[in-house]
Amino acid sequence: MEKYSRRDFLARSAAGAMALTSPALIGKSLLAAENAKTKSAKMAIAKWAGPKKLDVSQISKAAVKLTEQAIQGIGGLKQFVTKGAVVWIKPNIGWDRTPELAANTNPDVVATLIRLCFDAGAKTVRVGDNPCQIAAKTYVSSGIAPAAEKLGAEIVYLDTSRFKEIDIKGELIKKIPVFPGIMEADLVINVPIIKHHMMSTATMCMKNYMGVINNRPTIHQNFAVCLTDLTRFMAPQISVLDAVRIMTGHGPVGGSLDDVELKLTLAAGTDVIALDSWGAGVLGKTIEELPFITKGASEGLGTTDYKSISKEIAVS
Amino acid sequence: MSKKKPKITAAGIRRVVQILFLIAFFALLLLTRFEPTSGSTSVGGETVITPALQAPAPILKLFFIFDPLITVVTALTAHEVPRIALFSIVTIVVTMLLGRVFCGWICPMGTIQAIAGRLLRGRKKRRNIGTWSRWQLAKYYILVGLLIPALFGLHFICMFDPLVLLTRSSTTALLPAIQIASKDTSTILYHTDPGIGPLRIDKVVEPTYQFANKYIFGLEGVDHNWVYPGGGLILLIFAAIVALNAFRPRFWCRYICPLGALLGLFSWRPFLKRKVNTETCTHCDLCGMSCHGAAAVGPGEAWKPMECLGCMDCTESCKQESLTFEFSLPKRKDPAIKSVNLSRRGIITAGVSGLTAMAAMRISPQSRGESYNPALIRPPGARPEREFLKRCTSCGLCIKACPTGGLQPTLTEAGLEGLWTPMLVPSIGYCDYMCNLCGQVCPTGAITELTLEEKHATRIGLAAFDVRRCLPYAYGRNCMVCEEHCPIPDKAIYCLDVDVKDRNGQVKTIKRPFVDPTKCTGCGLCENVCPYNDRAAIRVASANESRHPDNQPILGGDSMGYPYG
Repeated sequence: MEKYSRRDFLARSAAGAMALTSPALIGKSLLAAENAKTKSAKMAIAKWAGPKKLDVSQISKAAVKLTEQAIQGIGGLKQFVTKGAVVWIKPNIGWDRTPELAANTNPDVVATLIRLCFDAGAKTVRVGDNPCQIAAKTYVSSGIAPAAEKLGAEIVYLDTSRFKEIDIKGELIKKIPVFPGIMEADLVINVPIIKHHMMSTATMCMKNYMGVINNRPTIHQNFAVCLTDLTRFMAPQISVLDAVRIMTGHGPVGGSLDDVELKLTLAAGTDVIALDSWGAGVLGKTIEELPFITKGASEGLGTTDYKSISKEIAVS
Repeated sequence: MSKKKPKITAAGIRRVVQILFLIAFFALLLLTRFEPTSGSTSVGGETVITPALQAPAPILKLFFIFDPLITVVTALTAHEVPRIALFSIVTIVVTMLLGRVFCGWICPMGTIQAIAGRLLRGRKKRRNIGTWSRWQLAKYYILVGLLIPALFGLHFICMFDPLVLLTRSSTTALLPAIQIASKDTSTILYHTDPGIGPLRIDKVVEPTYQFANKYIFGLEGVDHNWVYPGGGLILLIFAAIVALNAFRPRFWCRYICPLGALLGLFSWRPFLKRKVNTETCTHCDLCGMSCHGAAAVGPGEAWKPMECLGCMDCTESCKQESLTFEFSLPKRKDPAIKSVNLSRRGIITAGVSGLTAMAAMRISPQSRGESYNPALIRPPGARPEREFLKRCTSCGLCIKACPTGGLQPTLTEAGLEGLWTPMLVPSIGYCDYMCNLCGQVCPTGAITELTLEEKHATRIGLAAFDVRRCLPYAYGRNCMVCEEHCPIPDKAIYCLDVDVKDRNGQVKTIKRPFVDPTKCTGCGLCENVCPYNDRAAIRVASANESRHPDNQPILGGDSMGYPYG
């Protein structure tokens, strides 16, 4: 074995660390930029047109149908999932609450996406988020971990010691710890739920990217800029915005059924700004009330005029 | 060593049994943690997932259930015997029949002492480990000296119970040391592994770490380290106890252990007795030299059953095979048996010293219930302080079970009497809204078992803003992390719009948080998540705790009238 000097060793370690992180990141953002240029943004809104009075199992079935139809509406998952790809599904698993309280993404929506990913040829589907409460509990009470495990997806807990500090080159956020597992995935499917949020007024697609990073509390001091920074860095490819149930008050934690409204609708698309603009309406807000949307749009991350790129699908 | 075929001896069986009990002890201790997947319960009419223990609580407490010292002391201090503690009568009956076999065969602390003695003293020094010393009476005087104050409610003696001591030391020092070492080494390798050519160390280390994290430490998806700032002193004391084996083997068991002393009293005249065949005995004293408890003083001397640990090493050591243990009815006067001679003077001195120590421990306004320590936030379900101290052994099982790691051993917060008892330190971990494990694992009921509905109606403290630090107060900036995290369904923290001026005099509207004292339970989640990581801008103090009506500045009724549940 040849001898290494300490200088060599340090240089090689640094190079190794760089090699581990940078190609994945640079490659991904280039790809996304290309996507944005060549393919025009697509969006499909699935609305439930069947009977309005549903019990829990019927809501569950409706959620599955809505997801399938919305994904079909944007042309299926095959265009995003290459054969043998590693897909990371990033739901909102923020709080230790059961599905009917609408504090986390609907587990049926997540489960359907996992199934569709495997159908489209994905080799591995990983599901993970960075919850605000004990992850092991939150994953279970959200119903997402049991549903995902049944379909053969990998449940990943984001170990804080495994985050790697990356310069995301934002306006306000510079270096921040990012979970490498998510960045190394071939495709990240962002699957948030529409919720009231005390500070940012609403939490939807852009806000959901906060689960990818660590050291979050200071972001609350300027949501508009920070969320735009994050979204630009994440270079969204596909998002599914869940509004099967939405949380209308006391968000983002909720905890009372009085704050939950059954909306039975859901949108899938490639443009997070358009999706969030649609979601604002679902929550009964105007786009002007949500500065992060206007900020994101002004930075060229998408269009607030979601109607121009979307189609509505009635599902029953 | 001889090259004879290994024979199955009683001592050999004992060693296997000892190791099995030692493994069982640590397995149960490691399993005293929450299992997120099981358990759902109905709270306020809706189903919620609740953390449950990895194994039923009585099994996790198994060693404590059979510990007669805890039963006897709790009966004296609190005037009650939990029904489950009656199992310790089994231990007493077994001791009366067979002697201190608990010490020699079962006690995990005893096993650690035996192993440490053997390792520290090596093969050469092993000769003559059986020298009797009058200092061995010390443990009886410690027992007596702390049992008399127990009549007045002092539970301090359980501090010296070997099971309590080992559980506490393991929970707050030994296991955390292993956990943090494994995490830190693997983290360093994860981030910097340079690899040797194509070989990467973290290909091996990472799966090992993940496995240990999941199955041994049970921290997968929990993601905190076992951090116990008070563990350093506990570790030092434990290390000293282990190190003393270099001076005398089984130092703890021979000189200090009050549980050993209690069992010694019960084995005054056991049914199982050592018998020497005087015709074949050559008075070589090999048996005395190998004696763990220094129970046989010298060649031909009588045997002290109160000091005998029943380890059977003497029968193994005897080359003439003239030593046996046989059953016979106990006789009042037995020439083959020698009692340890406790002096009346010694007993009185011990009792008086114990009472004096108790008085000294209680000279403080806090222990007289005249003032309350704001930092002393007891887990939910903890009895009022005086009743709590009458029962808490400071074993640390609740600390081990706490899923957030927020329960910490006290140092001075609860006075000397409450040394190493549990308190919530919200900056380290909060009290999880859906968790009631501490009450389930408490072996003496110092923390009562609460249903989740009862727990939600129990206040352990009250949160208050430090308005000189809190961002919306001090710097006119928006921040709502505490409000967002508050787990109370209709929020004990709420925000109101207020107009503030910036340095240019421009008016802007921000949200300012407030605490509703009638809703706050003092769980400490807000303090835990506050963006300030040095000293949070919202902090919980023990004020308003349900267990002390005197410590409630807020008019709002006791816990019974509390609007939750």
